[in-house]
Amino acid sequence: MQMRLPGLLAIAVFLAGCAGTGGSVPVVDSGRPVSNEDITYAPGAAPQAPPQAAQRTDGAVVVMVPDEAGGSQPIQSYPVDVQSQGSGGFSAPSSGSSLQQDEQLDGPVLALLTAARDQEGRGDLGGASSSLERAMRIAPREPQVFYRLAQVRLAQGDAAQAEQMAQRGLSYAAGRPTLQAGLWELIARAREQQGNAAGAAEARQKARVTS
Amino acid sequence: MAKKRAGVRKKGLWHGWSGLFIKLGLVGLVLLAGLTIYLDAVVQEKFTGKRWAVPAKVFARPLELFAGQKLSRDDFLTELSALGYRKTTAARQPGQISVNGNRVDVYTRGFQFFEGTERAQLLRVAFQGDQVVSLGGTDSPVMGRLEPLLIGGIYPAHNEDRILIRLEQTPPFLVEALVAVEDRDYFQHFGISPRGIARAMYANVRAGGVVQGGSTLTQQLVKNFYLTSDRSLVRKGTEAIMAVLLEAHFSKEEILEAYLNEVFLGQDGRRAVHGFGLASQYYFAQPLHELQLHQVALLVGMVKGPSLFNPRRHPERAKARRDLVIGMLAEQGMVSEAQAEKAVAMPLDVSARGSMADTSYPAFMDLVKRQLREDYRDEDLTSEGLRIFTSFDPLLQKKAEQAVQGTVKRLTRADAPSPLESAMVVTSAQGGEVLALVGGANPRFQGFNRALDASRPIGSLVKPAIYLTALERPQEYALTTLVEDAPIALQAEPGQTWTPQNYDRESHGWVPLHQALSRSYNQAAVRLGVDLGVPSVLDTVRRMGVDHDWPAFPSMLLGSGSMTPMQVTDMYQTLATGGFNTPLRAIRNVLTTEGDPLRRYPFEVQQRFDPASIYLLQQAMTRVMTEGTGRSAYNKINSNVRLAGKTGTTNDLRDSWFAGFSDDLLAVAWIGRDDNSNTGLTGASGALQVWSEFMAQAHPRGLSSAPVQGVVMAWVDAETGMGSDPSCEGSIQMPFRAGYQPLPGPGCNPVLSEEGLKDGANRVMDTIRGWLQ
Repeated sequence: MQMRLPGLLAIAVFLAGCAGTGGSVPVVDSGRPVSNEDITYAPGAAPQAPPQAAQRTDGAVVVMVPDEAGGSQPIQSYPVDVQSQGSGGFSAPSSGSSLQQDEQLDGPVLALLTAARDQEGRGDLGGASSSLERAMRIAPREPQVFYRLAQVRLAQGDAAQAEQMAQRGLSYAAGRPTLQAGLWELIARAREQQGNAAGAAEARQKARVTS
Repeated sequence: MAKKRAGVRKKGLWHGWSGLFIKLGLVGLVLLAGLTIYLDAVVQEKFTGKRWAVPAKVFARPLELFAGQKLSRDDFLTELSALGYRKTTAARQPGQISVNGNRVDVYTRGFQFFEGTERAQLLRVAFQGDQVVSLGGTDSPVMGRLEPLLIGGIYPAHNEDRILIRLEQTPPFLVEALVAVEDRDYFQHFGISPRGIARAMYANVRAGGVVQGGSTLTQQLVKNFYLTSDRSLVRKGTEAIMAVLLEAHFSKEEILEAYLNEVFLGQDGRRAVHGFGLASQYYFAQPLHELQLHQVALLVGMVKGPSLFNPRRHPERAKARRDLVIGMLAEQGMVSEAQAEKAVAMPLDVSARGSMADTSYPAFMDLVKRQLREDYRDEDLTSEGLRIFTSFDPLLQKKAEQAVQGTVKRLTRADAPSPLESAMVVTSAQGGEVLALVGGANPRFQGFNRALDASRPIGSLVKPAIYLTALERPQEYALTTLVEDAPIALQAEPGQTWTPQNYDRESHGWVPLHQALSRSYNQAAVRLGVDLGVPSVLDTVRRMGVDHDWPAFPSMLLGSGSMTPMQVTDMYQTLATGGFNTPLRAIRNVLTTEGDPLRRYPFEVQQRFDPASIYLLQQAMTRVMTEGTGRSAYNKINSNVRLAGKTGTTNDLRDSWFAGFSDDLLAVAWIGRDDNSNTGLTGASGALQVWSEFMAQAHPRGLSSAPVQGVVMAWVDAETGMGSDPSCEGSIQMPFRAGYQPLPGPGCNPVLSEEGLKDGANRVMDTIRGWLQ
């Protein structure tokens, strides 16, 4: 986490800058899928600042609205910045397709994850945590939200809950290997902080197998 | 002579007494000076310190708005009306809405939340069915939220409540009207007003009785603020001195602001409504600064006699008084004739009592207070003006109350010896937040909170713990494992034989495990539980989240142990979340009175079971709903919605339970009697009716059937549980723990039936088409 912070800060500042919402709830029409950078950065690898928003392509995130029967139907799409795929120094997700399932977050959840990142960047971990829980209420089965919650808990020094959040994320991450690997990596770090070296090694092993 | 003598005597006396008078006068002066110094200290001390103890304010969850949000237009309007939003043709300023078919434009008020400030903005919300389909606004917002509904306060013993306001926050005409009506010379006098007194005396003499008081606003404030309400001359004198002292030390604005916050404006049950800020919420459900002339005039008119001119109890008298105030304003040239006419033509506009804003939620508030008392001292809660944000959902609460009240009324028999009681807990299935809480058949009753305190045997609600214990041993048990439902005699306690019976008094032989659960067979459950070991099952109950000290008797396998509805909720929450125990929470966070973050109650989880075992158990519990004891729920609920649940009935039909969940909502319902007598109800005929009535109105999101990690699907014979093939008659697809699924059986030749023939021909044609492509 320590090593990552400058990177996150840079992203937060960039997002704040290009979103230009001036406080309150950020209206993220220029937000990037949040998952990518979380999952694919190697800790410590400084991400390049993405190029200006002018390069944005016209990708769209399909909003999946759960229907009564528990399935989903797309109802609306939001423009989303997909330039990070392979162009901006981000390593592309393993599938190489333009939009992975991982990134199919709908507007409000994406907005809240961005707000949380912003708050975390300012050192307001309580606020970040609150925003993420708000996102969780909207999308209670979204593993990326748990991934971020686990990160924030780690930053708050609550390694035990960080591990639990990541475990919870894993229980919803079936069929999303990149995300699973990221969650295992978080579990490894949480276990390290709790002095459980063997458990951490085991989690790292799983992170390698799943990615 | 006599006259002269009298004069002399008088003179002499005067000479004799005058010295004494002077001395007495001096002493009096010294005393008066002393008193003044003392009063001065009193005045300053109380006025410069913290003036009021402000009770903690408890808020509901804020309503979130975004495309895809599950929310019907009517529910949205209910919430807006409880928040005091006013309908207009076009929403132009905070607090206004306009409704046009399925589109509602709302100008939100903005609010200070824990995570930051939500600004006031115009949102255009479009609905379709029970869903928000789009959200629009000036800079295409992705989401927005309303301010949360105030659902209660935590009052000190004297039950004084207020919402503090600053002078700048007052609406137009409030100060003008108050001064015009109560104290015309306010901005000129020095605390007491000789002109005011003279005017009052003249008016009183002319009317032949007391019609007008000569007290200034300052005197009124002093009276309320420092003194008791007895009407002695001494008190009048003290009041006058203190009023003058107050004016000497503080500005007119400061005194007026204090007056606005102090004045008594009504009684809400045991709660005293003080100040214009709270009065505005209490009578109009609106923030003070939004009030218009006719509303301001009503409140100002009430200062003279809050109960006499109570607009809810005496609407005509209140309106006459209001119009009089408007008339005075016009007379003094503060409003134009046209303005006055328009205001007089307005209705009282008082919010309906019994709408969400005015009703109290005693059961939920009780829960909030218990959770707060773990972290705060009583005096902080009743005086520091803390702002407490909860997960309470007033819309779901309303539906839960209606389900409880409606069902209890329907099930009540005229000849019953004691009333039917009920309780209900609703939580968010994944987050463990308490959304609604009903503590009794009368949800307004402030007393025994059955949801938290009625500890009753849970009956068959305990059975999922037995089956979960089994499913955690995949090498021994799967959903298709056959278990025996046959008579069994056990030593229950030393010397006592126990022979559990099925509800239908029949035994069903060897049945698949999932069926034993969905039909709630007692003998199968007891046999299985004994095989697994009673202590293991009781330990599973503990791991599910409920600490208990039940003895390891076999009768515990049929739920002779007691729990409160809240504890049952805790237990089932672990099933709803896929094996993670979440402490049930009602409070999200706490802000100080200035809006600074004070404390968070973070979401916490603890994994207790592997998701695969829970998934299998959930499967069996969905069968309770589709083919088992819970199936009547689908008489009310759309059959597309996948639900999981369990009925519970206790000996002699004393308690009727139902606990169940969808993807987003978990609800536990109980029906019984306080004297513990027979209700004549099973879990299905009682509590399930409350539950399904609620769920039908709450429009839950169905459970997903997609298998979780570690679960695979396999075809088996429905009766034997042996591996089979989709082509075989009577084969069904069942989930298994990966690695423990049966090997597929051999395929069966499709049996040609007359009906199947056409189907078969089509399939042949399809195959031929496939070759050609």
